[in-house]
This record gives sequence, C-alpha cells and structure tokens, in this order.
Amino acid sequence: MKLLKQFWWIFPLAFIALYPVTLAGGSPYWSGLLIFVGIYVILAVGLDLLMGYTGQISVGHAAYFAIGAYTSGILTAKYGFSPLGAMVIGMVLTGVVAWALGRPVLALKEYYLAMATLAFNEIVVTLIIGLEWLTGGASGLRDIPSFSIFGLVLSNHVHYYYFVWAIVVIVIACSLAVVRSPFGRTLVAIHSDEIAARAFGVDTAKYKTRIFVLASVFASMAGSLFTHYMGFLAPDDFGVLTSINVLVMLFLGGIGTIYGPILGAFFMKLLPELTYQIHDYELLLSGLILIVVLVFMPRGLFGIFTTIWEKMFSKADK
Amino acid sequence: MADFSHIVQFFFSGLTSGSMYALIAVSLVIVYKVSLLICFAQGEFFVIGALTMVTLVSKGLPMPLAFVLSILISTVLGALVQRLLIKPIQNAGVGNLIVMTIAISLALRGAALLIWGKESHILKPFSSGAPIPVLGATLQPQVLWIIGITIVVLGMIWLFFEKTKLGIAMRACAENRLGASLMGISTDKAALLAWAWGSGIGALAGMAVAPLLFMQYGSGVMPMVKGFIAVSIGGLSSIVGSVVAGLLLGTVEAYTIGLISSKFSDTIVFSLLMVVLIFKPSGLFGKG
Amino acid sequence: MTDTRDAILSVQNVTKTFEGIHALEDVSFDVRPGHIKALIGPNGAGKTTLLNAINGIMPPDRGHILFLGSDVVGNSADKVAGLGLSRTFQLIRMFTINNATVLDNVLLGAHLQFKPTLFESIFRRRKVNKAEKEARDKAMELLRFVGLENAADATPGSLPFGNQRLVELARALMTDPKMLLLDEPASGLNDTEVEGFTELLLSIRQKGITILLVEHNMKLVMNIADDIVVLDFGKKLAEGTPQAICANPQVIEAYLGTTLTECRFEP
Repeated sequence: MKLLKQFWWIFPLAFIALYPVTLAGGSPYWSGLLIFVGIYVILAVGLDLLMGYTGQISVGHAAYFAIGAYTSGILTAKYGFSPLGAMVIGMVLTGVVAWALGRPVLALKEYYLAMATLAFNEIVVTLIIGLEWLTGGASGLRDIPSFSIFGLVLSNHVHYYYFVWAIVVIVIACSLAVVRSPFGRTLVAIHSDEIAARAFGVDTAKYKTRIFVLASVFASMAGSLFTHYMGFLAPDDFGVLTSINVLVMLFLGGIGTIYGPILGAFFMKLLPELTYQIHDYELLLSGLILIVVLVFMPRGLFGIFTTIWEKMFSKADK
Repeated sequence: MADFSHIVQFFFSGLTSGSMYALIAVSLVIVYKVSLLICFAQGEFFVIGALTMVTLVSKGLPMPLAFVLSILISTVLGALVQRLLIKPIQNAGVGNLIVMTIAISLALRGAALLIWGKESHILKPFSSGAPIPVLGATLQPQVLWIIGITIVVLGMIWLFFEKTKLGIAMRACAENRLGASLMGISTDKAALLAWAWGSGIGALAGMAVAPLLFMQYGSGVMPMVKGFIAVSIGGLSSIVGSVVAGLLLGTVEAYTIGLISSKFSDTIVFSLLMVVLIFKPSGLFGKG
Repeated sequence: MTDTRDAILSVQNVTKTFEGIHALEDVSFDVRPGHIKALIGPNGAGKTTLLNAINGIMPPDRGHILFLGSDVVGNSADKVAGLGLSRTFQLIRMFTINNATVLDNVLLGAHLQFKPTLFESIFRRRKVNKAEKEARDKAMELLRFVGLENAADATPGSLPFGNQRLVELARALMTDPKMLLLDEPASGLNDTEVEGFTELLLSIRQKGITILLVEHNMKLVMNIADDIVVLDFGKKLAEGTPQAICANPQVIEAYLGTTLTECRFEP
C-alpha cells in the first residue's frame, strides 16, 4: 500500500505514454483532443502557481497564451523562422512583458488586479484584431507550418502528441519542484498575509513578479504548441472568455494543488465529448459548474479525491 | 477632416454611450458600497432586461407594461442571485467572491444564449418619431429617452438614499456595519436591496439603449467592463464620480472612434484603464 | 538618560497623524542593547502604531528611528527585517493557506538566511534540500525552546491561542534577530503560561537579543522589564525603571490606577 502511495504517478504517466497506441487507436481526433488537454494543462498549472499559491487573481491569462501563439505563428508563417526558435523568442518576449507589467500591476489588490489583468487581455486582443497587416486581424493567420526540431518535422499527430506531453510533464515537474521548495513556502506566506511575510524579510513584489513571469512563460509555450497544431490562428481563441475557461478549470479541479488544475483541464475539455451537440449549453454549464464548486466543494475535484484517498489509506492502516 | 456636424454627432454618441456607462457604473457602486463586492455579472442584467422587454413586446404587451415588467423581473433576479449564491459564500474571501460573480455572469449569459439564441434582437424605440436635426447632426428621439431615464434614475437614487429611512440606513450600512444594525436594517437585507437596485438599474440601462443597439446574449460584457472603467476613474465609492466618469468615458470614446481610429478605440480605452489603475487606483474622486 | 550612541534602537521625535488625529506625537526614547524595555499605556495610546513605524510597515510622518546607528525610516519592512529586527503581532498573523503547518510558519523565518531563486528551486535541488534540512533542524530546535515540538505538523488554527503566540515567537527568533519587537505576546495567556513565558523572555535576553515589549500584563512587565516607557494619547508620558514608573503620579492617574497592586513587587 505504501508503494502505491509513493508511486501512484506511474499510472497517469503510463496512461499518457500508451494512450495514442491503445485507446486512441491511432485516431488523429482522439490524439488531437489530448493535445488540447495538454495545452490547457500548461495554462491551468501556470495560473495555479499565480492564483492558487501566490494569491494573485488573474482574469486575463490568455493574453500571454496569445503573445506566444502569435509570435510563433507570425515568425514561422511570414518570416520563415524555425518553430523552435520562434517559440523561444515568444517565451522571451512574454517574459519581458510580464516582468515589465509585474511590479505595477501586482501591487494592485483584488478587484483592481482582476480588472487590470482583464484590461491587458483586451488590449492584446484588440491589438491582434487591429494590426491586420501583421496578425491577419479578425480573419486570422493562416498557413502556419507544423512544429519541427532541427529539421525533424512533427507533422504526424502522434509524434506531436508525445512532444506536447513531454513538455507538459516538464512543466508539471517544474511547478511541483517550485511549490515544494522554500520558494513555494514563501509564495504561500505572501498569499496568506503579505504584511507578515514582509516583516520576515520577504521582498513580496519581487516574488510575485517572478512567479508571474514563470506562469506567463508557460502560457506562451502553450500558445506556441497550440499554433503549430492548429495551423491557423484566430483572435477569438485568446479573449477573456478563454481566460475565464482556464479559471473554471482551476477551480473545478482544485485551486492551489497543481494536480487539481490538471484534473480540471481534462474534465472541461472532455466534457463536450461526452455531451455531443451540447455546444450551446457549454457556457451555462461552465457557469453552473463553477457555482457548484464554489458553494459546495471549494477544494475542487482533487479535494474530493484526496479525501477519498485518505479514507482508503486510514482504513488500510487499521 | 471632420466638420462641425460630425463633432455634434459624436457628442450625441458620446452622450448615449456615456449615459449607459454612467448607469452601469452607478449600479456597480451601489452594490459595492453596501456589500463590498463588484458584480461581474452586471452586464448580464443589462442584456436580460433588454431581451425580456423585446420578448414581452413581441408577445403583444404594450410597451409601458413590458417596461415595468422587465425591470421587475430583473430586480427579482438580482435579489435571488444575491440571496441564493452570494450570501452563502459571503465569508469566503474576496478572491472567491470575485470568481463567483464571474461564474454567475457565465451562467446568466449561457441561459440568455439558450433562451434568445445567437441572433440579434431589436427593440422598437419608446416613442415613434423622426430623427431630430440638430446643428447639422441627427438626434434620435431615443437618445432623449436615455438621457431622461438616466436623470430620473439618478434622481430616484438621490431621493432614496438621502431622504428615505431605508435608504439612509443602507448608506449607514455601507459606512459602518455595526451602526447599521442599530439603525434598523440588517446587513443581509441591505445587501439584498443593493443587489436589487443594481440589477434593476443595469436592466434599465439595457432597455433604454436597446432600440439603438443590436442586442444579443453577449452584448452585456463590454458595457459592464466599460462601466467598471468608469468606476475606476470616478472612484469606487462615489456615485457622483461614477456618473461623471461614465459620461466622460462615453464622450472620449465617441470622439476617439470618430476622429482618431475606430479600430483602436478599445485599445486606447483599456490602456487608459490600466494607467488609471496603476497611478491612481482610488480614482479621481475616491478616497485613498 | 542613555547616550544615544550606545543605543541599539533610538526613536527620535516620531510623529504620525491619521486624518487629523495624532496617533504618535513627538515620541523619543532609546533602548540599550541586551535590555528588555517595556512599552505600556492605555488602549489606543499608539503602541502598535509605534511598532509598525519601527519595523517599516507604516512609516512615521516625522522623526527618525535609528537601528544600529542608521535611520530606518523609509525602509520597507523587509529591509528592516534584514537588518536584524524581528517581531510578533498583536492580532496573530499566521500563514494558513494550503494547510500550512506550524513548522511551515516557523520555517519562513529562514528566508533571510536563504533566499532560493526560481532557478535554484528547479535545478539546484541538492543545494536547496541541504539548506532546507538545516532550516528544519533549527526550526525544530526553536519549537523545542518554546515547548511546542509536538505541534510541528499541526495547523496554527488548531492550536489554542496561547500556543499560537508561542509559534509567533519561534518564528520571530528564526531570523536570528538582534532585536525583537513583541506586541502583547502574553495577552490571552493564563498565569502559569505567563510564568513560562517570562522564563522564555529571560532566556532570550541571555542570548543577547534586545527586546521591546508592548504589554498590558503589568505583572509580567514589572517582573521582567529593565525599564519602561509609558505612552498616553500618542505622547510619551514617562520613562524609567519599574520603581520610578510605579511612583509616578501622572502614570498612576492615567493608567495604573486600578492595577496598583502589581507595583508591590519584590526588587
């Protein structure tokens, strides 16, 4: 039983590794679905670091998703950059933007912070739509090549699936490393009581900015991965509604746990599959799910899992 | 280059959207003053009020009746939302409350999508009549309705909060929670009333501008955000400030669209918001 | 009067006004190194405001505060902490998000010694783990010192009030401070607990740590303070040894009136 407790993560990892060849049966539709899930896992985990651990509310996370996506799209489709290079440039650009915004914006509290993040998201989207000559505007950016690493083209959906999930696993591992370290403890202290944290020598502005940059860079990576899978980009995918969808995943899965957002991303992306043509119901459903979570299960799905898990183990120990 | 008639036309646009922003901003401030919450769902009451009126009118009800019923329905909806969804988690911390209002906005918008579909709906203007020529520009009669409704609403707010016992008690509640319960109103009741006021005013704003805009299920998002921009500029706890800021915002926006660029007017407006938030978050009229 | 140059902390003409009310008005006093100085006064006298001014949470409008010779007015709280000043809070400020434990709270005090960067947290695990182990050992040592080593894995909220104050003390000591600011650390403790607490404070003083203690518990103050400053309505009313304070008619009138019994103590 103890072994199970320590090595439980082997199961999900095995599932991810074997999925395309077993359950998906090589179907591009199903691998594509999990590619999307992976991209949203990166978004949600990054947001969890910022909101769940450090307590900084962001209603505009999709802005950084957009910067990464469009940088990759524009540089590869229009200027022939290598996708890997474009992705790195996107990450650097996003990091710089986040670093510049970080100090003034993260000094704001609650509603003001929420509105500032929302405003920046809108600014990015309106710029994408307005700067047509660069971004293709509302009609979108087309003919984006598949991802390739030093000449090796990942046009096969299964190859791309493994590539995306390798990155997802790295992002999850990094995030877990951060939250289980003294850095993570400092973030939680800032979230709990910023004044007390400062009284013990924590430069709260610096920490908030750094985690903000990390979360944004993750989002940028997700954007690049998204771009090369889709082959085209439209500004609709990067608005405040997308940011809010990530927020719903975060709360549904269980905020402040890293694993929770992963569950949330799976659930929210797979739900439409189980409910077929209920596309029109999605909006209402997301709202209702979030309401139910906030009132009845604030610790989210992961909270429920851990409660069951602990009950199981306490029974086994007896 | 724009000539004088254009300048006047932009002014009327500005007045129209400015009144809309002012009303929404006021509704946000009322809810904030009493329950210390900014309601992200305000835009949905805006839409639901307008679309309800459209439906009622299309079913054959006379306009005034549809008008009153729509306000009533929205007001009750707002009160229900507060009682059923906000009150249970009112001690959960600001972050959760913010997310709850976002959730409510999603749910209401989702419901509106299912009820009214994706199409745009048009409401007949409140009074028939040809557009009025003014100084070379045309003034839709509905704009006069909008301004009139705005003035009446502001007057009612003033009357209620300054002159009635209940209103004064609610204001006391906003200043000091303990004092309010001594003045004969529980904080629960005050919050309920504040939300009712808020959703009612929001719906009114929607109904008033519906004849001039294409209303669809998602039309409330931008007005709500712009209403919040007005509140940020005017001060979170100042009704007067929000009204002034709302009108200013509408006017500045109209002139930006007309004279500078319509593609980037939103970029400019949102950048303005960020500048205000970063450099003077308490707004031009607010306290520190 | 102490020669200011010898003082570890020198508060000079500190004034702080809130919306027209003088929370602090021209307050001056010194604290000698290794001493326990008590700051007493009726509620609302400005004691917490003064502590907040000293450690940088809310700087004064006028005046200077010299810590180890340099003026700290205008420094942010984290800079002041870095200079060696640590504190506890009147309304307990524990870190509770994500089920933080008592140990997690005390461990935050290690931040000043070891500030891992993001990069290190991900890629230099061995270095981080080593520093973490050292910090944990030290934190457990401090929890043993305050008698709470068994509560290390509990959440602060589950502990009785008095124990939470002890956790605050352990956390404050974790930073290896040169001086402690304690804000009503004995409030809510019963007589036995106060006795134990007195012992702790004396041990702390023996380690050479200076203490500025805001307290209402006059028995504790009289037993332990080397000297006392009395504040009333933001102004310094009196300063001196416990005997002198007890004999001061103004102090008796303003504050000690009903608690005169505590002044009958053994020298």
